[in-house]
Amino acid sequence: MFNPLRSAGGEDSAARLRVLADEELMQLLYRGNAAAFEVIYDRHADAAFSLAYRMCGQRSLAEDVVQEAFLSLWRSGARYDRNRGSVRTWTLGIVHNRAIDALRRRTVRERGIVDGEGIEERLPARERTELEFARKDEAREIRDALEQLPDEQSRVIELAYFGGLTHVQIASMLDIPVGTIKGRMRLGLAKMRMALGDPAEVLP
Amino acid sequence: MSERDQTPRGHDCGEDVAPYVLGALTEAEHDAFLAHLETCAVCRDEVTALQSVVSALPAAVPQLSAPAEIKHRVMATVHGEAALRGTGEPAPGRRRMPRATLPAWRGLLAPAGVLAAVVLAVVLLTSGGSGGGTRVIRAEVTVPHAYVSVSLSGGHAELNLTRMPQSPPDHVYEVWVKRSGAPQPTDALFTVSSAGSATVGVPGSVAGVRQILVTAEPTGGSKVPTSTPVIVADLS
Repeated sequence: MFNPLRSAGGEDSAARLRVLADEELMQLLYRGNAAAFEVIYDRHADAAFSLAYRMCGQRSLAEDVVQEAFLSLWRSGARYDRNRGSVRTWTLGIVHNRAIDALRRRTVRERGIVDGEGIEERLPARERTELEFARKDEAREIRDALEQLPDEQSRVIELAYFGGLTHVQIASMLDIPVGTIKGRMRLGLAKMRMALGDPAEVLP
Repeated sequence: MSERDQTPRGHDCGEDVAPYVLGALTEAEHDAFLAHLETCAVCRDEVTALQSVVSALPAAVPQLSAPAEIKHRVMATVHGEAALRGTGEPAPGRRRMPRATLPAWRGLLAPAGVLAAVVLAVVLLTSGGSGGGTRVIRAEVTVPHAYVSVSLSGGHAELNLTRMPQSPPDHVYEVWVKRSGAPQPTDALFTVSSAGSATVGVPGSVAGVRQILVTAEPTGGSKVPTSTPVIVADLS
């Protein structure tokens, strides 16, 4: 029986690694297994780049964010705690934090982010697996839940999460009291939770 | 509104849950709210509930293919670090990439008249110090409220920093080792988290090393330290 912890590497073991669950790969990654890391990268790089691109609105910056995020994952794999979510969620959380860092280093004018739109460059996703179809269904549900919110609530959520803006910056941008911004965020997320039936986790 | 703890800022803590999970609190607010979560079960529950929604948001964006050049760059670094690890270097790891910077250092450094802030951890290691067990030594830190300790185990050292300021704009922290003569640079460049914490492995064995220096240097690192130390750990 294949024991990934004893695997010596090579194409054969690389193929075997690809059948392992993310959580098993993380154990190998923590031991410095570059092949295990590569599988993790291949599984989640598209989602990571998609999120980074959505947030940064610029291909070169999104590339930097993804690169930093995955190197951070490689170097800090020991911090992954499966009890706190899937590897995908953890990875995308790192991407989100890195993108926020990148965005906050820039001025609002430099960002070119004034609302939830503005990304023109689109690259076709190549993966069309069964899991990908399931993810597309999930994506549709989440987009629907977001779109069904009143504009004032979806706008502050998008500006915060995808725009990397603080509630103070959003309040200033929209000329609305900070307390109102917080309230809209809270209400919007609560409505989405109800609409989505309390999503416990994104798909792996 | 339920009965809840009040934040140090004196308003209802529940208001901060949504901006917290969305990553929309300011750095100071984020740190304060993290501390608040330690004592407020109601907020912890709400964070868990709303975090599940926020974790799903990335799935809503148009899905793109990551450019192949990212993988090439990432894997080149990963293979290089894996090779280092295979020859006895410390776990990949602990080195970090430059990230956000804050102006907090300016006030700290202005009196010293330097442009780049420096953290200096001086570790005096006795020969034959690679025996079993872990030794932890506290470093002296001139940065107010910061705390730095050095863990020594198996001939390797690891720095643990908490409440450290961000490195100055366009600067990162760099680890140096000193055996005799001038400090020698390492390839350990890192930044601290938004909460001011970091765990950094010192590359290679520290056998014979008398001092470990960590400085804030221009992005990309320097060949010699460029500023005055602000932390000193004497392990003798």
